[in-house]
This record gives sequence, C-alpha cells and structure tokens, in this order.
Amino acid sequence: MLASTFPSYPLEQVVLDELHDAIRAERDLWAPQMSADGHWRLQPMGEGSLPGVAVTTFLPLKKLLLPPREEIWNFRTGEYCTAQVSQAFAVVGVPLCDLQAVWYLDQAFADDLPYQARRAQALLVGMACVPGPECRCDGLSMPLAGDLFIDHERVWVLSPAGQALLRACGCQVSQELPLPWPVVATGKRRALTQERFFSTTEAAIWTDEAKRCLSCGACSAVCPTCYCFDMLDAAALDGSVTRHRLWDNCFFAEHGKVAGDYDFRPGRANRLRFRMEHKRFGFGALRGQNSCVGCGRCRKVCPVDIDLDLIAEQLDGEGGS
Amino acid sequence: MIHALQPIPAVIDTIDRSVINNHIFTFRPEQSIELVPGQFVEISIPGVGGFPVSPCDLVREGLISSCIRRTGRVTEALYYLEEGDSIGLRGPFGNGFPLAMFTGQDALLIAGGLGMAPMRALLKALLDNGQTGRIILLYGSRQPETLLFRDELVSLAGHSRVDVRFSVDFAEILPGPCGDVLCRIGLVTELLADLDFNPRKTVAAVCGPPALYRCVLEELALMGLPSAKIFATLERRMRCGIGECCHCVAGGRYICKDGPVFSLEALRAMAEAI
Repeated sequence: MLASTFPSYPLEQVVLDELHDAIRAERDLWAPQMSADGHWRLQPMGEGSLPGVAVTTFLPLKKLLLPPREEIWNFRTGEYCTAQVSQAFAVVGVPLCDLQAVWYLDQAFADDLPYQARRAQALLVGMACVPGPECRCDGLSMPLAGDLFIDHERVWVLSPAGQALLRACGCQVSQELPLPWPVVATGKRRALTQERFFSTTEAAIWTDEAKRCLSCGACSAVCPTCYCFDMLDAAALDGSVTRHRLWDNCFFAEHGKVAGDYDFRPGRANRLRFRMEHKRFGFGALRGQNSCVGCGRCRKVCPVDIDLDLIAEQLDGEGGS
Repeated sequence: MIHALQPIPAVIDTIDRSVINNHIFTFRPEQSIELVPGQFVEISIPGVGGFPVSPCDLVREGLISSCIRRTGRVTEALYYLEEGDSIGLRGPFGNGFPLAMFTGQDALLIAGGLGMAPMRALLKALLDNGQTGRIILLYGSRQPETLLFRDELVSLAGHSRVDVRFSVDFAEILPGPCGDVLCRIGLVTELLADLDFNPRKTVAAVCGPPALYRCVLEELALMGLPSAKIFATLERRMRCGIGECCHCVAGGRYICKDGPVFSLEALRAMAEAI
C-alpha cells in the first residue's frame, strides 16, 4: 500500500493516553530505550509514557519478528511438534525505515509459518523520527508495514487493525484530512543499476574494500532486511531435541561452502558483492526489489568504515570498466 | 500454511552397504513424498542436524532411496544408524529435471562421482516411460572401486537403447571386466571426443562436482546442442529448501527453489553459479 493513500486524523492527548492503556492491557509493550552504554535498544517497556519520536535502535525490529535464536520445532517421543509462539506484543516508536524493512521481511517470509505466527501477534506503531547523520532515508520509495503512524498531534492509519484500535480509543475517525506524510527524505541512496553492478564485478574497489573488511558480519547483523539463517539442534538429557533457527551471516566463512569444502564465495570481495547484490537487487521472487531502507546502521557499525553507498557511487563512476 | 521447516518422521527401511562410504539408504516416511528426478529432500537427524539429498531412484511404494556419501558431521551420524531407526524428512523441494523435454529426443546423460546418484533416478524415469530414443550415459569416477551402481549399469549396457561408458581418473590397469561397457582412464569429458550423436535431436543432463560443469556444459554447446537443451543440477548446502536462508543463492536465484536444475541458457545469466 502506498503511503499517500493512508488516511490521517487529529490525535488528542486523551486518545493517545487511551491508546497507551489499550495496548498495555493486551500486549507486551516494546519501545526504544537508552541503555547505560549510550545505545538505543528495543526493550520491554516498564512504567512510563509512550515515546514521542521514533529512534533507529541498535538492532532493528527483526530482533522480535525473526529472533536471533528461535525454536522452530521440538522432537519428543518420536514426534515433531511446532514450537509455540509468544504472546501478543506491540512495538511503539518505530521509524519509517524499519516499517519498510518489515514490509520486505513480510514478503521474504510470506510462506514461513514461525515468522507469520509471530508477525500476526505484532502491533507496530511508527513515529516520525529525527534523522541522524548516517540516514539515507528515501521517503516513501518503498511500501511499508505497520498499523499506526504518529507525528505529534496527528495519526496515520496503516492497517485495519490500526483503524479498529484507534476507533476503540475514541479517536474521531470521521475527521479525515489529506495531509502530507510527515517523514522527509534525508538523502537518496546512490542509484545503481543491475547492468552497472554486473559489469563492474572485477572493479578494483571490491578488492580494495575487501582488504579492509574484517568479515565480522556486523553490517548484516544490524541490517533490518538481512535474514540469512542457519539451523541448530539442542538435545536435552531426557532425549528431546529442539531445532533452533539462528541468524547466520553471508560474511562468515562457512556460508557459501558445500560438501567437500568447496566454497562458492571464498573471498571477502565475493562476500561484499554478495551482500550488495542482496541489498540492492534482491533474491528469488524479490529480484529487482531494493531492500536497503537507508537506516544507516551498517555504516554506523562497520569498524573499518565500509559504506555500500560509497561503493555504489564509485561503481557508478566506473563507466563499466 | 504448512510448516515447511518441520520434518515428518521416517524409518530407515534398508541400507545397501556395497560401496564403502557411499551407502544407499532407503527411507519410509509416515506420509508419502512425491518426487521427480532432480528434486531433493532434507534429511533431519534430531540432535545432529540436517542436509539436502536427491534420491537415486524413483519413489516406489512410498520408499525414497538415496546414495549418501559419508562426508560431514551429519552424514557421519547417519552412518551410525541401523535399519528400523528413525529420522525426519522434509520435501519435496526444487524443480527436478524437465522430463517432458526428453520425449521424442535422444538423451545424453553425463555424471561425475556422486552425481551418478541423482542421474540414476533420471535414467530410471527415462527407461520407465519409454518415450526417449537412444540414451547415452557417460559416467566418470575417481577410481574403479568407487564406480556407483556398477553392476546395474553394466547390465543396462546390453539394452538396445542404452549406451553406457565409464571413465576413471586414476587406475594402473583398466578396471576388471565391464561387459559391453567401454571404460577409459581419464576424465569423463574425454568420452565426449569420439561420441557419435545427433546434437539437434538430443537433450543433455549433467550432474557432478563443480569442476565438471565448468568444462562440460560449454563443450556440449560447442558440439551443437542448444543451450536450452543442456541441463545441470547444482549442488549447494541448502539449509531451508524453501528460498529463505540464502546459503544456496547464485546469480540472484535460490538454487533450492528455482533449481537445482537449470539449463545452460539460464546458467549463463547467473554470475558465479558454476
């Protein structure tokens, strides 16, 4: 759904308070909170009021929708049982980029039962943000997921669930006004066509950047749309086994290996290109769909300052050489 | 929505241990899994892990047979299991070989090493449906001792429609009696050199290690086979089988979902696929 079609309504403080209570009554509430180390993190919210603005947290929303380690089935007495999903939860204070990332994950995991079960439990309330220096927000260039979006005294309805909640909280949903979307783009991502990308696979910048790359995988870990996973079994003393889905990382040495130790992505340059290809052009049914939402987390977290946008800029200037 | 990551229980029905470290396991899943040659299943050993494998035979009476090489942690664990033990199976995954394309055509099947296992399933399907003309099988192995399904393939060579040729990379002397089968010392590609076939009436299927694809696919094209009629089945360590986990991606495509069988025409557009 394109954002320009979202209805918006005035949001009075009394309705906001009501919304707060309604969410808390039925759901675990998560919101960005400043940790002692100075990083913003998504944390369960204790007492206190809802945040007023969105924050780009250290780890994105995928930490809740596609957890770093989740049970996908249990095996006991000869039977496989589907792992149960946690209870309903809400995340409040989500920036636009993360809502766009959730839209992308929704597509990538459209047929994934554990993801969809968890997703169905989530109520997502976006908020207008204060852009940081790393942000490359492209405004509404990508569709977004979520239920409500709040900016000061105004609320945009993103889903039927959001509409119903708002109505239940006494919002005057008859006062719809066609107001502009409150998020302003902070800087466009560098354009990069598939043709240019695939004609520059031998460009020097890949090996130059790869020399610095530590293969630490931090960029993928904090990326809101990186979703590689592996599976690992944990056996208990009673003979039961739980299979976990774990975040994996395309920068790790084992990622492209097959039986007999043949490696399809042996070098860091291969892996950097692989990640760039995934971000800009997508895989499988999502081929052609950009998934870099411009949140800037990878730029911020990289210990050696590798910036996919700068690489894109360089490739664009390569002239296909 | 089905939970595609959750296996169904299966029992090991038989284990054929005739080739060392290349045993043929036959599984009986609780619910039947329909597979065409070239598709694959994910085998789970609870507590150890899982791996993808293509069957080496058609599914018969619900039984799925796979030739599984003892090569890693999970296959090692499988080798400790016995007939009657339980495992888990997920699938079917992938596209499989385009069987309809072989109708009315000759088939040129080229297998290297363990690639003979999925190739045998294709060979059986082609023999079963009887719609294919001549079938040429070129099969290369490292040593004479590791030729898989050797007796069966040798006996097939008496079949009027089937032409079987072996090659072995290393051997002091030519390996024992092979009946009507031609056997050479050298690479499987050398068998192509004096092969008499009609490239305009042939569909090729290739299955083997990565090195085989790099030399043989384009060579077939040079011999006059259209690139849309040359098929290869790619090996990757597919974790999920459903186009999510990203381990098998090449050229922007999930090998587990869009493949693992691709035409050379498709492969040429997939960077770093072979």
